[in-house]
Amino acid sequence: MVGQTNTIGRLSSYVRTENLPHLMFTGPPGVGKTASAVSIARELFGDTWQSNFTELNASDERGIDVVRHKIKNFARTSPVGDADFKIIFLDEADALTIDAQSALRRTMEKYTRTCRFILSCNYSSKIIEPIQSRCAVYRFGPITDEAVEERVRYIATEEQLDITEDGVDAIKYVAHGDMRKAINALQSAAMLDATIDRDAIYQITATARPEEIEKLISDAYKGDFAESRRKLGDLLTKQGLSGEDIVGQIYRAVFDVGDIPDRKKIELIDKIGETDFRITEGANERIQLEALLAQFVLSGGIYND
Amino acid sequence: MNISETKIEWSEKYRPTSLSEIVGNGKPVSDLCAWAKEWRNRAPDRKAAILYGKPGIGKTTAAHALAHDLGWEAIELNASDQRTATAIKKVAGMASETATIGGGIRLIILDEADNIYGNADRGGARELVRIIQHTTQPILLTANDLYGVSQGIKNLCVPIAFRSLQSRSIAQLLRKICQNEGIACDAEALLRLAENAHGDSRSAINDLQAVAQGKSKLHQDDVVVSSRDSRDTIFDVLKKIFKKKDIKDALNATYDIDETPDSLISWVDENLPAQYRGGDMVSGFDALSRADIFLGRVQRRQNYRMWRYAGAMMTSGVVVSKSREYAGARFMPPSQWRRLGQTRAARQMRDAISGKIGLRCQVSQRYARLNLLPFVKGLVSDRDYAVRLAAWAGLDVGEIAYLTGSKKGALKVKTIYQEAQTMFEAGIAEEIEIFGGFGQQGQQGLQNAAADLKPEKPKRAPVALAEELEKKQEKGTEKEPKEALKKAQTSLFDF
Repeated sequence: MVGQTNTIGRLSSYVRTENLPHLMFTGPPGVGKTASAVSIARELFGDTWQSNFTELNASDERGIDVVRHKIKNFARTSPVGDADFKIIFLDEADALTIDAQSALRRTMEKYTRTCRFILSCNYSSKIIEPIQSRCAVYRFGPITDEAVEERVRYIATEEQLDITEDGVDAIKYVAHGDMRKAINALQSAAMLDATIDRDAIYQITATARPEEIEKLISDAYKGDFAESRRKLGDLLTKQGLSGEDIVGQIYRAVFDVGDIPDRKKIELIDKIGETDFRITEGANERIQLEALLAQFVLSGGIYND
Repeated sequence: MNISETKIEWSEKYRPTSLSEIVGNGKPVSDLCAWAKEWRNRAPDRKAAILYGKPGIGKTTAAHALAHDLGWEAIELNASDQRTATAIKKVAGMASETATIGGGIRLIILDEADNIYGNADRGGARELVRIIQHTTQPILLTANDLYGVSQGIKNLCVPIAFRSLQSRSIAQLLRKICQNEGIACDAEALLRLAENAHGDSRSAINDLQAVAQGKSKLHQDDVVVSSRDSRDTIFDVLKKIFKKKDIKDALNATYDIDETPDSLISWVDENLPAQYRGGDMVSGFDALSRADIFLGRVQRRQNYRMWRYAGAMMTSGVVVSKSREYAGARFMPPSQWRRLGQTRAARQMRDAISGKIGLRCQVSQRYARLNLLPFVKGLVSDRDYAVRLAAWAGLDVGEIAYLTGSKKGALKVKTIYQEAQTMFEAGIAEEIEIFGGFGQQGQQGLQNAAADLKPEKPKRAPVALAEELEKKQEKGTEKEPKEALKKAQTSLFDF
């Protein structure tokens, strides 16, 4: 486990004492909530971890019947091997209906001798208070680029992959705090080529290079609509990116483009959002993106013809 | 202490087994005892009591402790069990009508009675009313929210309110546990844990276990468990929005807090007019308005990508709206939440009445609330009408008080209620004849009406009332209602 230093310290002390309160993990996707739950189970139970650990995805089965039957049945049978209790991992618990959450609360207490719950959710505010009251709550922040880098390098060494410096940077950009994305990108690129460099990463993840996007924006802002539009055409047809991907990257890049004042940036973000919406509503993403570039020209206030 | 004992959760391990061990809440505990004492000789008038209050303050614990102290046998049925009419009847019904082998008393504990509704528990609430009416054994219910409990059940129960615990009492509790576990602890650390729990002792104990387990010493800095409530950090975000200039910083700060964009926008909305002046405020609200449009798109199209633009507009968009620095005004939580909290009782009452009227008029609760309730409110100033309405819709004392705008204990309300009851019973007889002509359906209507004081099956009479109401809406003169009322009386039970 990487990142989340504070949390990990606490969680490993549970493993040391071989005891565990009910836990609730909250945080955005890909920050290690599931991974933490699984590693706790592995370390606590060793070989028998798979029989003593069950994972339920609450967004698949979110009704009260799941709690009353599936969960309860697992909870009330005794643990396998030397384990003192079992663990039920409820992924995306915020997808459980209120009824189901209410039914869960007494189950959590009643079977506490045989079973501990780990709930994971994106927003703790979607979990009813009585459940929060029964859990130790851990918030998982987004993963830092450094943590992504550390992990990528570790995997590369273990798997004996050849990855270039700019390849690592590219993975950090693509992952954007999501470790799962980072590792997926690394694995896919490794299957494609012996050496993993930035182009491989960008290609496999259908991502434009950040400089290309910045150029796209600044060309338009400086009034060179023709050049900017040509660039856009390249991205769409030659590199085969989707309009959605491009608009997402423009959004990320616009904060960091140097020569646009903040007020303008906000105006543009509003336009980008509008374009994103229109792409899903409209039939032709190219037209929407061109219209967005035209907005950048308007915002820059320079027109060269 | 054996090994298995060390492996259980502290909140279970230190759950008080006797009423005397329960911290705080002296009043409700003594009320509970008083109710229990009545059972010594024979069943009292109100055979059930309902313990209500926030999570983690000892309601369920008190129920079990009571049974323990008095040597009663306890049977528990909670929301994790299915609570349909049949299930409740099977468990609680049997237990409530038979004595224990030794002739002792058996306490039936129905946990989370405010959560008995929903499709999965159809009929459960009504069955419960029946069981409470016929029980020979004491019944205890627990609930977080008294308003979530159906009126029929509430009327049969002694209400006993449990209050949230003070941080000081919780800290004491934690100190005892630490002593027991052999952990030296910092007073400051315990107080911090206690305050973090907002009156909920169970979560305080859980947090204590989370930070202290396996340690011999607990220091203040060890308290790292996340707050269940993130008010402390939302203020940091607000500061970055209203006081600072970095647009990226303001946006990034929102990733560290646990607020959905919908709740964050309420915070910004509440504080914007107090923070900015003139054109800056206007421009700030423009940004919020854009953010709201993106939120609307998320809602309507389930397009969660729109969240990021909403987030940027409500943070960075407000950052760039300021043209100068503003002196600090205190940040306030959204007043709308407070208002909603304060008026919740009234709103729930209003919705309950609308639901009853809607059911009888075969319109939605919403339609009844928007289109019928205003007229009904006007019409109940006529006492005769009020009685008939109460009988017809099955209104209870509280609902009559709400409609007539009088106090719950007022004589007027009481008499209306009593007369309505009498009329209702007479009404059943008429209904039997009326429904007689409808074969099967009529039979069922008859059974329903006889079994329950508030038949839920929509009858045809309501339509007549809806028509009356609409007629009045058209005419709308002062004199009309009285006349229409006369008609209403005949059409209420006669159709």
